[in-house]
Amino acid sequence: MSLRSDEYQKGVPQKSYDLIREVLLVLLGVVIIVVVLAAVFGSPDYPTVRGEDVATKQPIAFEKTTVGILAGDSSLQEYGPPYTNNNENAQRLWGVAPATWFGVTLPIDATQDLVIKPLERVALLRSDVAQALQQYQQAPDTQKDAWNQAYTGALDNATYSNGHVLVAAGDYGPVPVMMDGMLALAKAGLLEGALQKNGQLPYALDSTLPLVYFEDDVDHNVAESLNMLGSQWGLIHETGRFPGAWWLWSYSFFYQIPPMNSSANGDLEVGVIMIALFLILLFLPIIPGLNRIPRGIRLYRLIWRDWYRKPPAG
Amino acid sequence: MSLTERSQSLLKRNLTLEDTLPTRMPVYVNSVAYLFGAGSLVGFLMLILTGLVMTIFGPNWYHYSATGHFVNSLHFWSTQIFFVALLLHLVVKFVMAAWRDKRFKTWIFGILSFAVLIFTGLTGFLLQSSWDSQWIAVQAKDAMNAIGIGAWFNTANVGQMLTLHIALLPVLGAILVGVHLFFVRRDSPVKPLSRSGRRHES
Repeated sequence: MSLRSDEYQKGVPQKSYDLIREVLLVLLGVVIIVVVLAAVFGSPDYPTVRGEDVATKQPIAFEKTTVGILAGDSSLQEYGPPYTNNNENAQRLWGVAPATWFGVTLPIDATQDLVIKPLERVALLRSDVAQALQQYQQAPDTQKDAWNQAYTGALDNATYSNGHVLVAAGDYGPVPVMMDGMLALAKAGLLEGALQKNGQLPYALDSTLPLVYFEDDVDHNVAESLNMLGSQWGLIHETGRFPGAWWLWSYSFFYQIPPMNSSANGDLEVGVIMIALFLILLFLPIIPGLNRIPRGIRLYRLIWRDWYRKPPAG
Repeated sequence: MSLTERSQSLLKRNLTLEDTLPTRMPVYVNSVAYLFGAGSLVGFLMLILTGLVMTIFGPNWYHYSATGHFVNSLHFWSTQIFFVALLLHLVVKFVMAAWRDKRFKTWIFGILSFAVLIFTGLTGFLLQSSWDSQWIAVQAKDAMNAIGIGAWFNTANVGQMLTLHIALLPVLGAILVGVHLFFVRRDSPVKPLSRSGRRHES
């Protein structure tokens, strides 16, 4: 042994030991368990929620999502850093908002990036959409708001027929044509491609915009049906019978209890709690009281029971 | 003294061949509880091996290939076994108060490894390119943004998650685990507490 361990182990009886044999036996055990679990249960592979699926199966929900984004009602519109400069909307605790420290590093203008820019591409293929988009962009904001609100309300009683969403007659301006253009884009399976940043194409390695498009109502409805909402301990299990990151149960736990479960700053509150718990765990050996817990609960007597049964002479 | 001589001296003082590949062990090391460390190490090894196979074919392989799906399943369940073993290892070392006798550094590097490997696991979940990863990405982004790291850790950026998952985080984790193991082997297993918990018997 090294000088250090020789000194430490002085007088302690030693036994014969074969490290490689032990590691190989543990390896064999782990391999058997993993292979059996993989063969019997496989691994989760639940299909993604795509624009094509939503537009085809839930066209009215698709248009509700899209007109909501167009109207500026999406959670991303005034999210705050790192997407927008609405610092007032960043989560804060005791007046501190860590999200603002690095500023807007991933700028997103939801209305423009998620609806208007894709529509500009559709406009190249459909003249009715081009005219509608031009009319919309030239209209004053109050008029846009009125059209968006009216169409959003009309969608509550909309029907779907012959590939189009139909609403009662009303003053919706160019919005129905624009929504029909977005619906056609999504049904064609082109929505996600249209949302990619042009500069990087054909390499689409950043899925931020395609992922956030449905993050509000559509994704939440899917997650709820699969028992995966944050309030349903969503993080620690995957779809179906598969475990998820169950080792983060304590992280999930704090989302289940007040005030975090209803707080607008819940993510930050839970984050701060977890950082504090991590630091406590890290420095536990030198925290008075906590470092005495093992001596109090005395579970070590189970681990070293043979040693206590036959302590070495002297 | 040359650098080579210094290195030799350092190893003689801290990590001899007997420390690296021990043939003797204190008699108090006599419980299955001591196997959880080896279990997590083997789980980590399985993750690296199965992960390396997947790096050859890419993250979408498992969606269209039965072989790919099986390798992905091996990787998935290795993760589960790894964290089972790791948490049991952590609990066992806690109840043993294994930081005693100047083993605080061993504890520190163990916990730091744990933290890094949790993030490695998170990036892995984000790479599944399935509904699960889709949902985790949009949920986790709010958590990351709230604590300020979302500015440079974008859970929805699959390219970034891929490079973090297969390069930076596992390498960092392996280095921290390596340092942890260095201290484990250099210092030898901590002596038992006395039956009453006051001090170790020696």
